[in-house]
Amino acid sequence: MSEHNTNIEYTHRGIPPVLSRVSSALLLIGILVAIISYLTDPVRSAFNNIVLLMLLTSVGVGSLFLIGIEYLAGAVWSTPFRRVFEFLASVVLVIPVIAIPVYLNVHSVYHWSHTDAVAADKILSGKEPYLNETFFLIRLIAYFVVWIVFYFIFTSNSKKQDKTKDQKLTKRNIRFSALFMPLFALTLTFSAIDFLMSLEPHWFSTIFGVYFFAGTVLASLAAGTFLVIMFVQKGYFIKGIIKDHYYSFGALLFAFINFWAYIAFSQYMLIWYANLPEETFWFINKWEGSWMYFSIFLIITHFLVPYFALLSQPSKMNEKRLKFMSIWILFAHIIDLYWLVLPTFNPEGFVFSWNEIGFIILGLGLILTMFNWKARKENIIPIGDPKLKRGLDFRL
Amino acid sequence: MSSIDYSRELSVIEGKPALREIDDLIAKPLETKPNIKFFIGLGITLTMLAIGVIAIGLSFYYGTGLWGNNNPVGWGFPIVNFVFWVGIGHAGTLISAILFLLRQKWRNGIARFAEGMTIFAVMTALIFPLIHVGRPWLAGYLMPYPNQHSLWVNFTSPLLWDVFAVSTYFTVSFIFWYVGLIPDFAVLRDRTKTKIKKAIYSVFSLGWRNSNRHWQHYEMVYLVLAGFATPLVLSVHTIVSFDFAVSILPGWHTTIFPPYFVAGAVFSGFAMVQNVLIVIRKVFNYEHIITIDTLEKMNKIIVLTGTLVGYAYAMEFFIAWYSGVQAEQFTFVNRAFGPYAWAYWIMITCNVVFPQLFWSKKIRRSIPVMFVIAVFVNVGMWFERFVITVTSLSRDFLPSSWAYYTPTLTDFGILIGSFGFFFTFVLLFSKTLPVVSIAEVKAVVDGSQPSHEGH
Repeated sequence: MSEHNTNIEYTHRGIPPVLSRVSSALLLIGILVAIISYLTDPVRSAFNNIVLLMLLTSVGVGSLFLIGIEYLAGAVWSTPFRRVFEFLASVVLVIPVIAIPVYLNVHSVYHWSHTDAVAADKILSGKEPYLNETFFLIRLIAYFVVWIVFYFIFTSNSKKQDKTKDQKLTKRNIRFSALFMPLFALTLTFSAIDFLMSLEPHWFSTIFGVYFFAGTVLASLAAGTFLVIMFVQKGYFIKGIIKDHYYSFGALLFAFINFWAYIAFSQYMLIWYANLPEETFWFINKWEGSWMYFSIFLIITHFLVPYFALLSQPSKMNEKRLKFMSIWILFAHIIDLYWLVLPTFNPEGFVFSWNEIGFIILGLGLILTMFNWKARKENIIPIGDPKLKRGLDFRL
Repeated sequence: MSSIDYSRELSVIEGKPALREIDDLIAKPLETKPNIKFFIGLGITLTMLAIGVIAIGLSFYYGTGLWGNNNPVGWGFPIVNFVFWVGIGHAGTLISAILFLLRQKWRNGIARFAEGMTIFAVMTALIFPLIHVGRPWLAGYLMPYPNQHSLWVNFTSPLLWDVFAVSTYFTVSFIFWYVGLIPDFAVLRDRTKTKIKKAIYSVFSLGWRNSNRHWQHYEMVYLVLAGFATPLVLSVHTIVSFDFAVSILPGWHTTIFPPYFVAGAVFSGFAMVQNVLIVIRKVFNYEHIITIDTLEKMNKIIVLTGTLVGYAYAMEFFIAWYSGVQAEQFTFVNRAFGPYAWAYWIMITCNVVFPQLFWSKKIRRSIPVMFVIAVFVNVGMWFERFVITVTSLSRDFLPSSWAYYTPTLTDFGILIGSFGFFFTFVLLFSKTLPVVSIAEVKAVVDGSQPSHEGH
C-alpha cells in the first residue's frame, strides 16, 4: 500500500508574468538602494540590514515550520498549498548572504562586540562567554546549517513524491518534522536573542523567543496566503479551491494576531508592573520622542486593525479581504521588526527615509525572486501527495 | 508501520456501530444499578474527602497555625494546590473548545468527560483560596460593588483578577458543558421508562425535538461558546501566572510565565484526563469510541506541552544567567542545587524526561506505560508549582530570615481531601450523566459525513 491512485487534473503553468516583472523590479531597486545606502550611511544600513535579515528569517524559517506542522498534525486542508510554503522556504538559502554585511558591521550595531566596553562593564563581562564575536559566528553558522539542511530534506522528499507517489516519503517527512520542531524552537529563539535582543545587551526577557515566533508565523502565513490567492485568481493554481479552503488561512491569521498581542502584552505588562530598572529601560527607549507615536502605531497596525478586519466568520473566507490583510500583516511584521531594531540606532525618535524603504523593497524582492525561481519550473501543487485529494475535497 | 495510507481518513470510531448501539452503550451506565466496584470506589473517594473535611475543620478550629505556612514562606500548600487544580481544568476547555475550532474529530469522544473534569477541577481549586483567606464568609467582598462602607477591592492585585478570571471561566465552561448536554438529555428522555427520570430529563432537555432549526441554533451557539472559551483558557492561567510574575521576587518575576503556565496547565490536564479515560473506557466498554488512536493523539499533545514546559525551564535558566542579575542567578542555582533540589529534580524528571518517551510510537500506544507516565506528569506538575512557590520564598533577599518550609499533616490532609472531592464528583458524574456525547459521537461514525468516496 505504498502507492495510491489519484486522478488529479493539473498542468504546470509557471508564474503570472506580472509577478516576475514586479519581483525583478523590486530586486533591482532594492539592491541599488541598499548599495547606495551602505555607501552613504553604513551604520544606519547595518541596522536596516538586521530588519531585512529577520524578515527573511521570519518568512523562510516560518514556512519551514508551517510545512513541518502540517506533516506532524496530519492536516489535509493545507496539503494543496504546501508547495507555496516550500517555495517560500527557499528564502533560507539567501539568509547567510544577507547576514554577511551584518557580521562585517558587527562593531557598529552590537555594543557587546567592543571588548574594551565589555571589560569596563561588569554586567557585560559576565555575558562575555555568550556574547562574543567567535561564538556569535559559530551560532549563526549553526542556525543556517539547520535551516538549509531541513529545507532540502523537506522539499526534496516532497518533489520526489510528485513522480513516485510513494507514501513512504510522507512518512519520512513526518519523522524529519518531529526532529525539526525542537531544533526550530532553539534556532529561532537564539537567533532572535542574538540579532534582536542583544542589540540592547543589558536587556533580557524570557518570552522574547516566543514573541519573535508569533511574528514569524504571521509573516510566513501572510506571505503564503497572498501568493495562494493571487495564483488561484489568475488561474495558475489547481481547480477546485473554494472559500472553505481559505477559511483556515483567515482563522490562523486571526489566531496568531491574537497570539502575538497576547505575548506582546504579557511581556509589556509584567515589565511595567514590576518596574525594575534593569528591564524597563527597553520599553522606555521605545516611548521616547517620536518613538511613542511609533509604538502606538505598532499596536494599531499589528493588532487592532487586523483583529477587527478578520473577526467575523465571512471575513475569514473573503478573498479580497484576506488578500489585503495578508499584505497588511506582512507590513505590520516589518513595522514590528523596525520597532525592535531601530530605537538602538536612533534613540531620539524614529527615522524613516529612502534607506529604510530600500531595504524593505529588497526584502520583498528577494522573497518573490526566490519564490519565482522555484515556482517557474516546479509544480505548485504536490501532485504526488497522498493527502492531496483529501485536501482538495476539504469542506468546512 | 509503513502501511498507513495517508490518502484515507482514519476512522475516529472503530467498527461502524449503528446509531442505536451508540445510544444503548452510552446510556447503559445511567440505566443500570451501580455495582459493588462503584461503591468501593466511592467509598475510597469519600474517605479521602472526609480526611480533607476533618483537616479543614481542624484548621478553622485551631487556626492556620496548623499549616506549614510561616515566615518567610507565606504561600505554601494552599497556593500550590490551587494552581495545580486550576491547571487540571485546562485540558477540558482545550479539548472541547480549541480542538473543536481546529476541527479535530477525535475530540468528540473525549470532550464531554474532559469538560466535566474542568468543572470539578475548578470547584476543587476554589477550596484553597477560600480557606486561605481565613474568613471564607467574607469572600463575598471580593466582588466589587458599591457599598455603605466604601470598601473596595484592590483592583491592581492579580489575586482579584483571579476572582474575575476563574468565575468567568467556570461560568462559560459550565454553560458550554450544559449546551452540549441538551441533545443527549433529549435522547435519555425518550428512552427512559420511569416517570421521575422522564420529568427530570424533560426539564433539562429544554424541549429539544431534534428539529433542523434546533440543530442550526445549537451549532451556532456551540461555535460561539467555543470562541468565547478559547481566550478564557489562556486568560485563566495567564492571570494565575501573574499572581507570581507581577512581583519582583526572583524566580517569580519572569516574562515567559503566562504562556509557560498555560502550556503546563494543558500538560497536566491532559495527563489527568488520559488517566481517568483509560479507566472509563475499560469499565464502560468504550474501547471502540475512545480508541487507542485517540489516546495516542492525547499522548502526542502531552509530549508537545511537556517539551514546551521544558523549553520554558531552559529559557528561565539561561536568561537568569544571561541577565547578569545576581539575585536571579542565585535563585536558579538554589532551585537546582539548594535545599529543595530534590523537588526540582522530581519536577525535571517527571515533566521533561519521562514524557519524552512518547516520541516512540510503541510507548504512545501502550496503555500501562502511558498510564504511568501520565501519573508522573501530574506528580511533576504538582512539584513544579511547589518549586516555584516555595524555593523563591524560602530563600528571599534577607539571608537572616531564610527558612525551610515543611508542610504539616494538616496540609497533606487537605491535599488528600481535594483529590477525594474531585474524584467523588467524577464518580457521581459517570453514573448520572452521559460521559460521552451521544450526538457528537454519532456525527463522527464512518459514513455520517457525506464524501466523494461514498463511505
